[in-house]
Amino acid sequence: MSATTETPPAQAVRRETTPTPLSAAERARLERAFTAPRTRFLIGIPVAILLLLWSFNGAEFNFAKLGQGTVNMGEFLSRLFPPDFGKFGTIAALLVETFQMAIVGTVLGAVLSLFVAFAAASNIAPKWLYYPARWVMNVIRSVPDLVFALMFVSAVGLGPFAGILAMTLGSLGSIGKIFAEAMESVDRGPITAMQAVGASKRQVIQYGVLPQAAPLLVSYTLLLFEGNVRGATILGLVGAGGIGLELTTAMRMYDYGHLSAIIICIIVLVTAIDQGSALIRKRIT
Amino acid sequence: MPAVQLPTTAELRHALPLVSVRGLRVAYDEQLVLNGVELDLFPGEMVALLGASGSGKSTLMKSLTGFAPISGGSVRVAGHDVTNLARGELRTLRSEVGQVFQQFNLIPRLSVLSNVLTGALHGAGPINMVGGFSSAHRARAMHLLDRVGIAHKAKDAARSLSGGQQQRVAIARALMQQPRAILADEPVASLDPKLADSVLELLREIATEDGIPVLVSLHVLPLALAHSDRIVGLRHGEMVLSGRTAQLDAAQLAVLYQDEEGAGDERDH
Repeated sequence: MSATTETPPAQAVRRETTPTPLSAAERARLERAFTAPRTRFLIGIPVAILLLLWSFNGAEFNFAKLGQGTVNMGEFLSRLFPPDFGKFGTIAALLVETFQMAIVGTVLGAVLSLFVAFAAASNIAPKWLYYPARWVMNVIRSVPDLVFALMFVSAVGLGPFAGILAMTLGSLGSIGKIFAEAMESVDRGPITAMQAVGASKRQVIQYGVLPQAAPLLVSYTLLLFEGNVRGATILGLVGAGGIGLELTTAMRMYDYGHLSAIIICIIVLVTAIDQGSALIRKRIT
Repeated sequence: MPAVQLPTTAELRHALPLVSVRGLRVAYDEQLVLNGVELDLFPGEMVALLGASGSGKSTLMKSLTGFAPISGGSVRVAGHDVTNLARGELRTLRSEVGQVFQQFNLIPRLSVLSNVLTGALHGAGPINMVGGFSSAHRARAMHLLDRVGIAHKAKDAARSLSGGQQQRVAIARALMQQPRAILADEPVASLDPKLADSVLELLREIATEDGIPVLVSLHVLPLALAHSDRIVGLRHGEMVLSGRTAQLDAAQLAVLYQDEEGAGDERDH
């Protein structure tokens, strides 16, 4: 916190800047009731439409095919009924495991994210730390969680531990940057005040930054938790624990009643968690 | 040979300035904001710093605690050479100078008591690693809240207080530092006139009772006339006025705002 890093006050700079007046044409344009759209707007719209059409084409979007397929879809859905809760015990145990994985993955991910966010917040970290931290988070974010899961399964073997590790790393990618931005968005006043009482760097962060960012940090962590519960159901696909493996097995065995029971249980769990976390988030912000 | 009359300690204390600024120059991006400013602050006096917007009042305040880049001259504050601070000395210097801001700069979600306690962060000891403060610190913070008349709000969140109350909390925080001087940068610019008077009265009371200098920047002349022992005036970064408040006349004060007619619209509030 050397004196030279302080930004000059706005008023000191402002004094010397003489305002440049608007040109007569610009003034007339602002005062007209109706104005012709600007060139950038006229060019932008067709470009956006072309991009959209190009994407529809590339993604093989086809209404006719969707119409034909509706019958098959209905058939698939009808096979899901009635749900078979015969193995509810297994489902419940696996859901609990999924839930536990999400809790551990979220807590580890959030703690890790918090530390990386200190390094990636421009108002806290020095430049030499800021850029590498941002870069690492960008790399992690662009790797799909399933890839991490495969990597950890091969490292620590099948089971929820691999899933937790994948989720922790995935969490860092998804909320590290958001945490950093929450810290950057705090009011500078309390930071200045803490520097002015002679507080250390740690104290400036502890008192000037964290209390202000806390509601956002908690809120994002809860959102992350919701996402991780949903994500944990996928990780099982590669054998990284949770209910995912049971889900895939049921699909492969054409055990539709069981599959349907699993899906219903997942929906209930995810909805309950989403509602609960929404309630908490509402109270803290 | 007549015996030499030695000054008493109290007299000596009053003779030595706590803040001493000589030929101060501050430049941002090669643009000179302060040029050749001289300032002495003596214990127990309330000094008003006057000047139009952009005259350099804030920069002068900032330069006293190492918040502005000093490019020339000398600045001595409470025994520290601000232009040549040793490693770690900057934080010590800042901990010895209480600062009060226009926007109060309290931590909005923390309690009033916690906000006052942050004034003791420098040297709060290992207990603060987990966010704690000693009970001696807490007792002193409560005592200071009594002094600024806001102890009944100690448990409330700082953001729930009115502007005038928040500024009192900020003053208690500055006192928590056991400051050797107080700098108040436009402390009443966000307050209505009645509250402004009471806050300035409180600051002047502190100057007198604690025997520390209080430097307060203001942009309203009547407030300066009513609440200061001395007035220092800046214009375009240069000192154009300095004298005891009671002895200044209208002509001298008019110098401050010469050819600044339009300046009233530009003030930052």
